[in-house]
Amino acid sequence: MSKRHSQVSLSLVVGTNRRDVSDLDLARGLAAGESWAIGVTWHRFAPMVLSMAERALGSRSDAEDLAQDVFLNIFHKAKTLREPEKLRSFVYSFAVFGVRSELRRRKLRGWLSIWTPEALPELSHRSVDVESRDLLRRFYGLLDRLSARDRLVFSLKELESMTIEEVAEVMDISVSTVKRSLSHAMSRLSRWIMADPGLADVFDTGRWQR
Amino acid sequence: MISPDESAELRALHGLTKLARDTVQRPTSAELERGLNLLYARTTARKVRRTKLMRWSLAALAAALCLGLGIRLTSVWRGPRAEPPALAYRVEGGSVLAGGYLRDAGEGGVRLFFNEGTRVKLLPGARGRVRAVDKEGTRIVLDQGVASFDVARSKERRWLVEAGPFSVAVKGTFFTVSWDPPSERFELRLEHGSVVVSGPIASGDIELRAGQRLVVNLPKAETLITEERADATAATSNSGPSPTNQDAGSAAPALTADRAPGNAAPDASSTATASGGSKVEHKASWVEHLAHGHWNRILEEVESRGIETTLETAPSEDLFALADAARYRRRTDLARAALLAQRRRFPSAPRSLDALFLLGRVEESHDRARAITWYDQYLERAATGGYAAEAWGRKMVLTNELKGRAVAQPIAVEYLRRFPKGSYAGAARALCDQP
Repeated sequence: MSKRHSQVSLSLVVGTNRRDVSDLDLARGLAAGESWAIGVTWHRFAPMVLSMAERALGSRSDAEDLAQDVFLNIFHKAKTLREPEKLRSFVYSFAVFGVRSELRRRKLRGWLSIWTPEALPELSHRSVDVESRDLLRRFYGLLDRLSARDRLVFSLKELESMTIEEVAEVMDISVSTVKRSLSHAMSRLSRWIMADPGLADVFDTGRWQR
Repeated sequence: MISPDESAELRALHGLTKLARDTVQRPTSAELERGLNLLYARTTARKVRRTKLMRWSLAALAAALCLGLGIRLTSVWRGPRAEPPALAYRVEGGSVLAGGYLRDAGEGGVRLFFNEGTRVKLLPGARGRVRAVDKEGTRIVLDQGVASFDVARSKERRWLVEAGPFSVAVKGTFFTVSWDPPSERFELRLEHGSVVVSGPIASGDIELRAGQRLVVNLPKAETLITEERADATAATSNSGPSPTNQDAGSAAPALTADRAPGNAAPDASSTATASGGSKVEHKASWVEHLAHGHWNRILEEVESRGIETTLETAPSEDLFALADAARYRRRTDLARAALLAQRRRFPSAPRSLDALFLLGRVEESHDRARAITWYDQYLERAATGGYAAEAWGRKMVLTNELKGRAVAQPIAVEYLRRFPKGSYAGAARALCDQP
């Protein structure tokens, strides 16, 4: 049996490196439901979202779960993005919203007391010694006692090194509210640290050199 | 920035903030790939389930609210739960110093006996601390050496063992942990129960089940999980007892103690070689050195005896100890030579099959194609051997790196067919899911 071969000539098409596309083109790709846009968006913004969420929540695994939800929401709502060139801000706002929701959920779980919150946060262990982990556990234990808003304001300002104005914009609250929340968080944390001699003097005794 | 004019609590707050800021590191490319694969899977699943979810979400929400309210009301009605009795412990063979440091009083090691039945033993030379003992549970830190844990089951309490950068979450189990800071080598041998190990492991947290052994070598970024009982089965199916059998059959604390000279039974092939008294003596010593993580001592002895002489005269057990020590110290040439000597001099010994797998591990950092060949040889001769799962997994990873996804996919399918819950199952599924 003879086979019939196509006479259409073939040409080699060189694909563009999608990772170099601009945020504008990436946002358009997401809005159009292009499959390549998912991977590029993840690789471009996931490190930022994961690091911010881990610092704010004190848990690597929670940060990974949150990043999944954040990116699923972004893909789902990409069509609603009014200014495609501001994709980075769009992603960051979703991440901050996700962290705030997670912090509120934790408070709610604590109130319901059906699901006991983890006593020991699961921090990233890379290159951290036992003493550091111990201090971080106690520090995140104190942060857990703050309200969700105060904690998020404190995290964005002190852990993410954002300005008051940037925090206000990303959280969609007024500058005066940010200042009030920050002052409230700092005074309460200072008071709790003062009540814990193991924490208050650890940076004074010279034991701790970083 | 910490200013000298600040109050102590503000200085502490700034110090803690800086620590939290600096601790979090950028995710590795492996973690990002894993996350992306999960995202792809969820994106696909979401499309299928969206319609069903919409239908059921309202009903589920109402049911969950009713359930939550009911449980809350029930808990309020029943009153507070009875607190578990306070946890206490006594120490034998040493004492507890300030900060929970455990001090060894003699040669037998420190032993802790908790009132709920848990027993902890720090073997001689090990250093550790009791970091916390409270109603929520206990935290033990192993700074160095080997310790065994027999943890009583409890729903109320949580046990955490920390060794270097690794954390072991425990609920009712019997296991042995060793940590060697200079070489950054972590080892956990689980006799029964289950534990979750977290730390700087590329594949994330690892859950171990009874009979498994986990070895993590941080400088070489190697993570190895072996089935101790599977080893025993595989070795038995060949001929006669072997050192692997000895390892598998012994109790978990046997990491050091049960490998003592008097207990070490040589295999058939090594007995003939180790007929001289002096050889038997140094054989036990090397195995013991290896268990304690004193790899440099083994290498120093080899240098003083002469490498060629050692390779030609050392018994099988010593060649394996030498190969392990050389691998941990990145002396891949020496490790390769020891394993090849093992293959050449003891071809019928069961552990010669293990040498095939280990040659693959050694070769991975130099010639990945050659490593695949070693794994193929191992799988051809020991399809159900103790390292079979690991050999399939490594072969899949290397093939993907060298020849691409299309060639690696059939290997991934075969891996999942044979080891659906193996440690490479996640990577295999990711390979299979890709178009």
